[in-house]
Amino acid sequence: MLYDLTIVKDHYREIAPISDFKLSRRGLLASTAFLALATATAVGPTGSWAAAGVSAEQRLALIRMARDIYPHDDFLPDEPYVAVVDSILKEAESSEETRKLVMDGLSDLEARAKKIHGTSFAAIADPNKREGVLRSIELTGFFQKFKGGLLMGLYNNKALYPKFGYDGSSWEQGGFMDSFDKIGWL
Amino acid sequence: MAAKFDLNDDSIVVIIGSGAGGGTVANELAQRGVKSVILEAGKTLSLEDIENDEWSMFSKISWLDKRQSAGSWHGAVNHPGLPAWIVKGLGGSTVHWAGVSIRYQEHEFKMKTTSGGVAGANLLDWPITLDELKPWYDKAELKMGTTGEVTGMPHLPWSADFKVLAEGARRIGYSKITAGPMSINSEARDGRPACQQIGFCMQGCKIGAKWSTLYTELPRAVDTGNCEIRTNCMVLQVEHDKSGKVTGVVYADQDGKKQRQKARVVCVAGNSIESPRLLLNSESSLFPNGLANSSGQVGRNYMTHMTAGVYGVMPGEVHMNRGTAVAGIVRDEAHYDDTRGFAGGYTLEKLALGLGFLSAFLVPGPTGWGREVSSGLENYKYMSGVWICGEDMPQEQNRIALHATEKDQYGLPIPVVHKTDHPNDTNMRNHAYGQMAKIYHSLGAKKIYNLPAYPASHNMGTNRMSAKPEDGVVNKWGQSHDIKNLFVSDGSQFTTSASPNPTLTIVALAIRQADYLATQLKKGAI
Ligand SMILES: Cc1cc2nc3c(=O)[nH]c(=O)nc-3n(C[C@H](O)[C@H](O)[C@H](O)COP(=O)(O)OP(=O)(O)OC[C@H]3O[C@@H](n4cnc5c(N)ncnc54)[C@H](O)[C@@H]3O)c2cc1C
Ligand code: SF4
Repeated sequence: MLYDLTIVKDHYREIAPISDFKLSRRGLLASTAFLALATATAVGPTGSWAAAGVSAEQRLALIRMARDIYPHDDFLPDEPYVAVVDSILKEAESSEETRKLVMDGLSDLEARAKKIHGTSFAAIADPNKREGVLRSIELTGFFQKFKGGLLMGLYNNKALYPKFGYDGSSWEQGGFMDSFDKIGWL
Repeated sequence: MAAKFDLNDDSIVVIIGSGAGGGTVANELAQRGVKSVILEAGKTLSLEDIENDEWSMFSKISWLDKRQSAGSWHGAVNHPGLPAWIVKGLGGSTVHWAGVSIRYQEHEFKMKTTSGGVAGANLLDWPITLDELKPWYDKAELKMGTTGEVTGMPHLPWSADFKVLAEGARRIGYSKITAGPMSINSEARDGRPACQQIGFCMQGCKIGAKWSTLYTELPRAVDTGNCEIRTNCMVLQVEHDKSGKVTGVVYADQDGKKQRQKARVVCVAGNSIESPRLLLNSESSLFPNGLANSSGQVGRNYMTHMTAGVYGVMPGEVHMNRGTAVAGIVRDEAHYDDTRGFAGGYTLEKLALGLGFLSAFLVPGPTGWGREVSSGLENYKYMSGVWICGEDMPQEQNRIALHATEKDQYGLPIPVVHKTDHPNDTNMRNHAYGQMAKIYHSLGAKKIYNLPAYPASHNMGTNRMSAKPEDGVVNKWGQSHDIKNLFVSDGSQFTTSASPNPTLTIVALAIRQADYLATQLKKGAI
C-alpha cells in the first residue's frame, strides 16, 4: 500500500559493489544494549519460513535487521517485528520473486557484514555498526521491502496505537469534544 | 428528477472535474438555469466511505494514476510516482482539503509590480484586483461557511495543539494568531452540523462539518434538474471544429468505452496537473502545441506554494490528533518585506498528522529509517507540528510535460511534473524553519524535526490568467484567449500563487466565471 516503494526499486542507482563500500559513520548514539534475539525464535508461527527455504539463523538475521530499521529497544517487544518478517517469508513461500529478493538480499547483507566486521550481521554487537552496514544497502528492493512492511506493521497497526499514545478512529465516539482543548503544562 | 443529457446534445456546458472549481461552476450555472454535464474521472463517494484511517483513505481516494516527479526538489527522489497528493473521486480534493480559507492580499495580485520583478521568475500581475474580487470572496465565504465576519460564524475553539503553537508564537512577539478563517462549521449552518473535533479532516469529514462540493454544490446542482454527473468518466481529449471552436470531448466511460459528448462550452477543472495535460493531449493540426496554447504557457509556471513542515517534541503531552487537523493560523510573516531575503510572505498553519502519516513523512523517502525516525515516533503524544505555506515563484521550466514513451491505463502519455525551487523559495523556507525553531525552543521543545515539502496538495498556475494573450492562457474570466468557448475553472488559472491556501480563491473565481458565462450564453455571445 505504500505508494512509492515499488517504484523506488528501478528509480535508484544500483548499489555499490562491496569492494567500493566505505563504512558510513552516522554518529548516532547507541543508547541500547544488544537485544537478546533468542526471544524472537520463541514467537511467531514456525514452519512457513522453513518452507520458503529459510533457516532459523537466517530468519534471526532478518529479525535483527527489522529491529534496526525502526529501533524501539525496550519500547516494543519482538512480536510485531517478527510478524512483519514472517509475513514476508510467507509470501516468499509462494512467490519465487520474493524468495529470490529475500535470499539474495540477505546473502549480500551477510557478505558485507563479514567483509567489514568479520562476523555475521546479527553478531555485530554495536548497533551503530549494524546501521552502517544497513545504510549501504538501504536503496535496494530487499531493504525497502522490509522497511515498507515495518512502516505498516509498526505504525499503522491498530493494536500498537495505544503504545504510541495515538487514539486512532474517533468518529464512533463522537469525536474529541471532551479532550481536544485540554493541555496541562503550558 | 435528475437530468439526463444526450451525447449529441450540443447545447450544454461540459465540465471536467467535480472539485472546488468544477463543482462550484456546475452549481452556479445550474442555479442560473444553464444545463451542464460533469464528467468526473473518479468514483462516486459518500460520507459512508469515510474512515478515520490515513492510509486506507489514501488508497481509497487519491489520484494514483501513473505520474512522474522531476526537477531538483527532493520528491523527484523520495516521491518519484507521487508529485502531488490530490483526489480522484467525486468532490475532487475538497473531500480531503483541510478548510483553511484566507483571502489573497491586495499586493499579492500584483507581485511583479510589488517586487519590481525577481530574476529567474516569470512573474506577472493578475488581470484582476482584490477590489474586483471582493464581492465574489463574500459569496464564496457564504457558500462555503467560512468562519469570520461575512458569515458571522465565530472561528473554531482552540485545540491543545493550537494553544502550543499560539503560545510559542506569542513568546517570540507574534500577534496575528487565529483559529480561522476555516470553512468548517463552528455552528450548525446550511444543513450541516458543527465540527465535533473528530480529527482526520484530511481523510474526509465524516459528519460534513467541513465544506466539500461532494455534499453541497454537487447535489444542489443535480437537484435543479439542470446538471447530470457522470462518474468514472475520464476525459481524454477536447475536440474542435475547423474554425477552432470547441465542439465537445471524448471520454472513457466506466467500462473503458470511448464516448463523445458534444458541448456548446467546455470548462476544464481537473486540477493543475490534469488540466494542462488534457489541453496538451488535445493537440491537432490546427493547434499543434495543444489547445489554447498560442502563448506556449500551457503547463508552464507550475506552482505548489513554498511548503515545509516542522514538528517539535514538547515537554508535556499535546495529543495533536485530537481535534481539527489545521484550525490554527499564524500570519505574522504573511506580509511583503523583502529585507527578510525573499519576495512574498508565508503563513504558519498548525497541522496534525496521525501516527501513520507521520511515520512516512517525518523523514520521508527510502532513507527515512533508523533511530531518528523511531525515537521521534515514540514521542508521538508530545508532538506538535506546523505546515509552512508561502508564495512560490512562477518559473517557466517548472511545468507539466508529456512523457515521451510512458502511457497511462487510458493510453495517454503520463504527465511529468517538473519542480525546482527558486532561490526565493529556498530563502523563504529557511527563514520559516528559523522562526519555527525560535517558537518551539521558547516552549522548551526537546527535539525539532524540519520536514521538506510533502507531495503537492496545492497545485496552481499551469494555465495562467493574463491581460495579454501572449503572456498567458486565459483572460480575467478564465476564458481561453484563443478559443472563446473553452474555459479553465480551477487553480491552474492562477497568475501567481500568493501566500494563502488556494481554494477560497478558486471558488470565488468559479462563481464569478459562472456569472459571466451565463450572461454571455444568454446574450448569444458564445
Ligand atoms: C491534504 C490536503 C489539504 C488541503 N487543505 C487545503 C486548505 O486547508 N485550504 C485550501 O485552500 N486548500 C487546501 N487544499 C487544496 C485544495 O484541495 C485544492 O486547491 C482544490 O481542491 C483544487 O480544486 P480544483 O478544482 O483545482 O481541483 P480538485 O478539487 O482536485 O478537482 C479536480 C477533479 O477533476 C477530476 N479530473 C481530473 N482530470 C480529469 C479528467 N481528464 N476527466 C475527468 N475528471 C478529471 C479529478 O478526479 C478531481 O475530482 C488541500 C489539499 C490537500 C490534498
Ligand atoms: S475535526 Fe471537525 S471538520 Fe475535521 S473532520 Fe472532524 S468534524 Fe470534520
